[in-house]
This record gives sequence, C-alpha cells and structure tokens, in this order.
Amino acid sequence: MNSADFAVFTVKSASHMGRLALMKMNKLRADVQALLFLLPFLVVYFLFTIWPMIKGVEMSFYKWTLIKKMKYVGLGNYERMFQDHDFWASIWHSTIFVIITTPLMIVLAIILALIANRNSRLQRFYRSVFFIPSILSVAVASFLGLFVFQPYTGLVNSMLHLVKLLPDGAEIFWLTETNLAWIAISLLTLWWTVGFNFILYLSAMQDVPDEVYEAARLDGATDAQLFWRITLPLLSPITKTITMLQIIASFKVFMQIYVMTGGGPLDQTRPVIQLIWQTGFRKNDLGYASAMSYMLFAILLVLSGLQYWVNNRKEAN
Amino acid sequence: MKWFYRIISMFMAVLFAFPLVWMLVVSIKKEGMKITSVVDWFTPPYSLSVYHEIITGTKLIQWSWNSFFIAVCVTLLTLVIAAMAGFAMSKVPFRYRMFMFFFILAGLLIPGEAILIPLYQVAKDLGILNSYMGLIFPVLASPFAIIVLKSFFDGVPNDLLESVQIDGGGIWRIFLSIMLPLTRPALVSIAILTFIGSWNNFLWPFLSVTDDNLFTLPMGIPTLMNQYTEDYVKPMVINTVASLPIMLLFLIFERQIIKGVSLSGIKG
Repeated sequence: MNSADFAVFTVKSASHMGRLALMKMNKLRADVQALLFLLPFLVVYFLFTIWPMIKGVEMSFYKWTLIKKMKYVGLGNYERMFQDHDFWASIWHSTIFVIITTPLMIVLAIILALIANRNSRLQRFYRSVFFIPSILSVAVASFLGLFVFQPYTGLVNSMLHLVKLLPDGAEIFWLTETNLAWIAISLLTLWWTVGFNFILYLSAMQDVPDEVYEAARLDGATDAQLFWRITLPLLSPITKTITMLQIIASFKVFMQIYVMTGGGPLDQTRPVIQLIWQTGFRKNDLGYASAMSYMLFAILLVLSGLQYWVNNRKEAN
Repeated sequence: MKWFYRIISMFMAVLFAFPLVWMLVVSIKKEGMKITSVVDWFTPPYSLSVYHEIITGTKLIQWSWNSFFIAVCVTLLTLVIAAMAGFAMSKVPFRYRMFMFFFILAGLLIPGEAILIPLYQVAKDLGILNSYMGLIFPVLASPFAIIVLKSFFDGVPNDLLESVQIDGGGIWRIFLSIMLPLTRPALVSIAILTFIGSWNNFLWPFLSVTDDNLFTLPMGIPTLMNQYTEDYVKPMVINTVASLPIMLLFLIFERQIIKGVSLSGIKG
C-alpha cells in the first residue's frame, strides 16, 4: 500500500499547501512545533527507509555477504545482472503474473460487485462471503491453495472427479506443469485478494444515484444497456486506479508462489522477489541482491510514473 | 432472467465459501481415514484430537499472538506517527513545508520490497534482528498514511482551530480534541489497512527473525506444514487455528472494516 498509489490525491494535496490559511502562530514557534510533531516520523523514516536506500547503493557496489563486506567490485554486480538469464526470467515471470491476474481481477471484482449490488436483501451476506478470503493470512491462503490444487486428493481434482468432468484414473497436475501452475496460482490469488477491489467497486456503484437508472429505464433501456452505457463508464476512474494499484502490487508477488510451486517446475514460475531473496540469503550474496533490488525499484518507479501519468490525464479530461 | 442472476450469485458465493468450508470440515475429520472421493471429507467420524495436539504440541498459538500483538503495535504506532506528521503538514505554518512535503512524497515511490536487503543490513547494524522491536519499527514510516491523513486534516475548517486558540487552547488540544475526533473515519480506514498489511507481512519477518518464539503466522505456518504434507487434517487444523480469531474479528467489525476499505478507494 505504500507505493505511489495516490497520485491525484497527493497532487491535490500539494496544491492546497499554499492556499490554506493555517493556524495562527509566530514563525519560530511554528518551526519548533512542526519539528516536534514530525520528529517521530522523521526518525523511523530516516532509519528504515532513507538510510537503507543509501546503504543499498553502497552494498550493490560490493561483494557483500551476510557476515560482512568483502570487496569492492564497482559496477560488477550490475554488469552481471544484465547478462543473468535467471534474473530476466524472474522479471518475466512476475510480468506474466501481472498480465494474467490484472484483467481477471478487474472483471471478477466488477461481477462480484454487481452481484452484491443487485441483492439488497442479501447484500451483507455476499459482502462477507466475497471479502472474507482477503483477511486470511497470506500463509493460510497459500497453503489452502497448495492443498486445493493437489493431485489425487486435492479439492479441485476431487470435485472434478465427483461431477465426472475428470474421468476416473485421470489426474491434473496443477502445480508441476508450468502453464497449469500459473492458472492455479492465479485462481488462488484472485480468490484471496479480489475482496478489496470488490469493495471498492461496490461502493463506487452505490454512489451512482438511483435516479440515473430510473430515468434510463423510463427511456426503455435494458439491463445490459444500463450496465454498458451507465455503470461501466461511471466506474472508469476507479478502474484506472485499481488497475495501476493491481499492477504494482502483483509485480511484488512472492509467498503464494513460493508455497504452491516453490518457483518451480525448474524455476519456471519463480518471481523476482524470490530470486532476490535466494541470491541474498541462500547464496549469501547481498551485494548482488541489492543490485537486483535496484533494478526492481527502477521498474516499479516506471510503473508508478505511468500511474501518475494516467491519473493526470484523467484529471485533465 | 431473475432466476439466472440468482443462480449465478449463489454459485459465486458457494465457490468463494467452499475452500473455507472444506478447510473447517477437514480440520475436524478423524485423522488417517481413507479418502476416495470429495464426499468422504464431509462424512463422520469427526475428532478434535488434532486440535489438541496442534495447540499444545506446537507454537501456533504463540505465533498467532505474535502476529496479533505486532499488528496492533504497528497499527497504533503508525497512526500516532502519521497523524502527528499529517497534522504538522496540514495545519502548522512552518518554513520548508513544501520541501518536507516532497521529501515525504518521495517515500511513496520507494517500495518496501526494494530496500529489504539493505534494511536487513541496517537492522543488523542496529542490533534489532530477532526482536519485537526489529519486527515493529522498520514498518512504521508510512508516507501513504501521512498524505491521506493530511488531506483529511486539510478539510477541517481553520475557523474552528482559531476559536479554540482564542479560548486559550494550545496546539495539543487542537490536535487531540479537534483534529483526531473529526477525522475518525480516515483514522479507522488507515488503521484497518495497516493492520491487514502487518498481519500479512511475510518477507520482513522471514528475513529478520530466526528465533521461533518470535515467528509470526506467515513465517511459522510453513515450518509446520513441511512435516505434514501427506495428511490434510493437520494442515487444515493449522490453517483453521490461525484463521478463526481473525475471522471472528472480521465478523464483529464487519461494518467498520468494509467502510474503511471502501473509504481508501474514494480518494483514488
């Protein structure tokens, strides 16, 4: 939640800075008070964000192990990274995950919100059912995924056997074939995290005044027309926001993949965060891991920039 | 058409609830029974002995407590820190406000994941690896919370503050008895997001803690699971024990949580 989620919001906030008349107090007093109020933040911010940020630059120029700094290698770690097939493969895997899950997440969230929004009587029930997976610990969700997609006794295969979609004796090996593994990981992730986006869409739908629909209905609009011509266009600002949030968040995927496939088969689903962790803590190479972190940072920065641009265009329109 | 909607709706609800129902049912199944079809999971014999075994034989309860305790500390401290900073940014007319604003804004662009490796080194230098402090302090600086709260504080009319000042109220009184109560929904929203974020934080505890008395759920659960992959009953008991408290909390605070989550989107 701490990446550049709220670009528009912050721009508005910044433009307020000059205009708002503030509390009346003299200059020096204001400086002292402000420092006092900002101090707790500045301390943790400096210690655990700014300093690591700087430290990371230093580390990426060294061969650096878990025990100590070893030797200066200049840009060596970065040169190595650009030729490292594993690194680019892991970037690609995270990208695949983003490409699969983002559109599905949006479509599913809209469908669920439509369901809850139509049922005023059962709305609380639907809201709870669709949201409750989101509060599970990431570990619980991941292990549920692991067992749900097991061959032979897992929930999905058993259900498919029960309804005879899968013939007796046949098994689907969800987690050991690359393409199926992506499907399983994505389904689990959708189930686990769609709740947040669902709630955002639901509240956006509820903000649309009933009169709008009533007027359209009087003009003879069908349900489908209402959805495509009224609901969907009105949802487009929130869709843009969710899309960008989703892309950035999905790019940082790690635990569910780590638990469900371990990054396999043959590292074919290993996301970039897992590679960074393995490089740093399994291969004892914090320097190289720092360099990779900076590449990840650069990528996320570009995505954030893109988000800023998209949101600003929205403002301009 | 109406029936079609109803069937789709119920189908989705069942689909979403089913894995959780399955988890609960399998967790009370007697261990070691032969499972030939999915139906077998749902039929007796049931037994709670595995619950007893997991609760007394593992540190799962301790880890649940750690997760909860850390999430509460992180939430409260984040709120205090962010509200104070947001208040200064919004209402205190100090010099360099613009500079400070962009300094905080820059933090929004730094993803936690990208600085974890050096953060490990920093925490090691500070000697806070393997401690509650090490789990709590590094996640407290939330530029996101500050910027959200600042804009809510911006909405509080200055006339109100002035009238308190005229009555002789100081800056703390303004902060505590005007600003905080008036922005309660925003505070609740930030609290919920922070709590869930901390509850699910995996990577940092995973890197910074090796003492299993300090494990949180995301860290501890995998260490238990590796031993039991053949039988589903124990894993599902573990999942259930780890989830029931948070699910209960959700059902109690459902309304506030949903409201908090939807508020976080309005400003987007």
